[in-house]
Amino acid sequence: MIRRLFREPPKYLAILGMVPKVFMAYQLWFWIGLVLSTIAMAILYFFWRAVYGGTQAIAGLTLDTTLTYILLAQVFRPLTDVDLIYEFGYNLREGGIVHHLLRPLNFQGMFYAQSLGNLATQMVLQIPMALVATFVFGLRWPADPVVWGAFLVSAIMGYTALFFFVYSVACLTFYTTEVWGLGVLFFGMSLFLSGGLVPLAMMPGWLRTVVLSIPFAQALAVPINILTGITPLAQVPQVWLSQLVWVVGLWLASNLVFRVALRKVTVQGG
Amino acid sequence: MSVIEVSQLTKVFRIPKKEPGLGGAVKGLFRPRFEAKTAVDHIDFKMDSGEIVGYIGVNGAGKSTTIKMLTGVLLPTSGSARILGRDPHRQRVANAREIGVVFGQRTQLWWDLALIESLNLIARIYEVPPARYRQMLERFSETLDLGDLLKVPVRNMSLGQKMRAELAAALIHEPKVVYLDEPTIGLDLIVKERIREFIRSQCAGTGMTVLLTTHDLGDIEELCQRVLIIDAGRILFDGPISAIRDRFGKYREIAFETVAPAAGLSLKLPRGTEVVEASEHRLRVRFDRTRATASQVASQAMNQTEVLDFSLSEPDLASIVKQIYNGALVK
Repeated sequence: MIRRLFREPPKYLAILGMVPKVFMAYQLWFWIGLVLSTIAMAILYFFWRAVYGGTQAIAGLTLDTTLTYILLAQVFRPLTDVDLIYEFGYNLREGGIVHHLLRPLNFQGMFYAQSLGNLATQMVLQIPMALVATFVFGLRWPADPVVWGAFLVSAIMGYTALFFFVYSVACLTFYTTEVWGLGVLFFGMSLFLSGGLVPLAMMPGWLRTVVLSIPFAQALAVPINILTGITPLAQVPQVWLSQLVWVVGLWLASNLVFRVALRKVTVQGG
Repeated sequence: MSVIEVSQLTKVFRIPKKEPGLGGAVKGLFRPRFEAKTAVDHIDFKMDSGEIVGYIGVNGAGKSTTIKMLTGVLLPTSGSARILGRDPHRQRVANAREIGVVFGQRTQLWWDLALIESLNLIARIYEVPPARYRQMLERFSETLDLGDLLKVPVRNMSLGQKMRAELAAALIHEPKVVYLDEPTIGLDLIVKERIREFIRSQCAGTGMTVLLTTHDLGDIEELCQRVLIIDAGRILFDGPISAIRDRFGKYREIAFETVAPAAGLSLKLPRGTEVVEASEHRLRVRFDRTRATASQVASQAMNQTEVLDFSLSEPDLASIVKQIYNGALVK
């Protein structure tokens, strides 16, 4: 058992390490992405300035806080980017799922490692965006290391919860084999429901309830709230606890869904 | 103990039955109807360590379904398969460590990356000790001529290069059991020859057990001592290639070169002999070897007309197999 504990992680780390290499094969995307993200950031920045006009505060948030929140959310946007739906659909269609099942590895673990690799790669590639946010739009970064620590724990838990959620939904492609519509739907939802465009505090109560009852916001709005101080440090343990519940709950759910979906592949032959 | 033990293995698929037209499509949405299709039907066979067995049959005969069940990615409807004593579906991960698979039409390599990256990752996943990995890499570089390919991204490879790369990826961890599903499909003769040579050299002395499906009987003749023929989900034949010849190669041919024009001859030959070709000075006859011997046919012919030369030919495997596919065994 102990031996396995030491032997297994390197395999998953090796998978994680493949992601940046694959990404580097498409350098052009990096530049296109950078331009598009800068435009998106500028639109959001000026939009929120216009919304505030001369107003001091909306829903208790000052213009400064809101701008900090929006810019940070743009920089950390890869947290909402769990791209499993296309991945599963593609694998299913091309038959690659068989090769994944033929590996002596945990299927979900393999994809989690790959997703973490993806997140790490994307975050590194966000560095230019962070510079743009800082020097063009005047983003002021929080300085308190405790806040950063609290944020990191929350971000990892939120990302993990979102991973399990998307993984469950991606299992649907075992049945539909159609992924484009589902993928687009998910992309649109994650953009808005993660709280990347509008701070949660400004949403009407009913909408906030909806947003907080699906896991997108756990990956972005919740940790960014900690980072901007909208959620005070005193409330952080409570936030962590609820995120932990999300992670465990969705982990259980995703395994249940996967077991059923896998039967579709292994019983029906995909 | 057998490495592969298959008993009464069966797979029945439920295929949605679609009626034509829009009406049918709507109906199918509310009351889907299914049709049971038996892809593999109570098959039994065993393979011992070190055997290379050819698994042949027409498209849709059930070859790939069998292989998927043996690898554990498909759950049998009934019956059982044991690979090295394990249930490949229940013990999927443990089984996966011991096997290597090549699907001729799919890739297990990272499309965008240089081959060496894929191999490095596979070696880590299968826990190949680094020293052993270097050794294997060196050997493969030689036998598969991978040297220059290691740095090439898979997407830039030709079909033949890709297949060599696939074989390296499937065998780098020295699996005990290997499934090769059409490893020579679409390849030119030289690459085919190299791949066969490689499979042969890998098997020699390592005790690696190989189940090979193919439509290329050259693969079978050069690699396999034993053949399984499957049709409509049932095993029609299981035995050495020579036994196929004995059982199904009933007909042999003799070609005579005659002095008189062959077309004008009407010879009395043993029963069960028929003339296949009679043109100019060439006469070709086919006879049932269970009813007449070659010398009987030849001597009778030579007693009746002057013969300059003659030759005897055995049926080739391809024609026999065609005959079997066409239902020779059903009778």
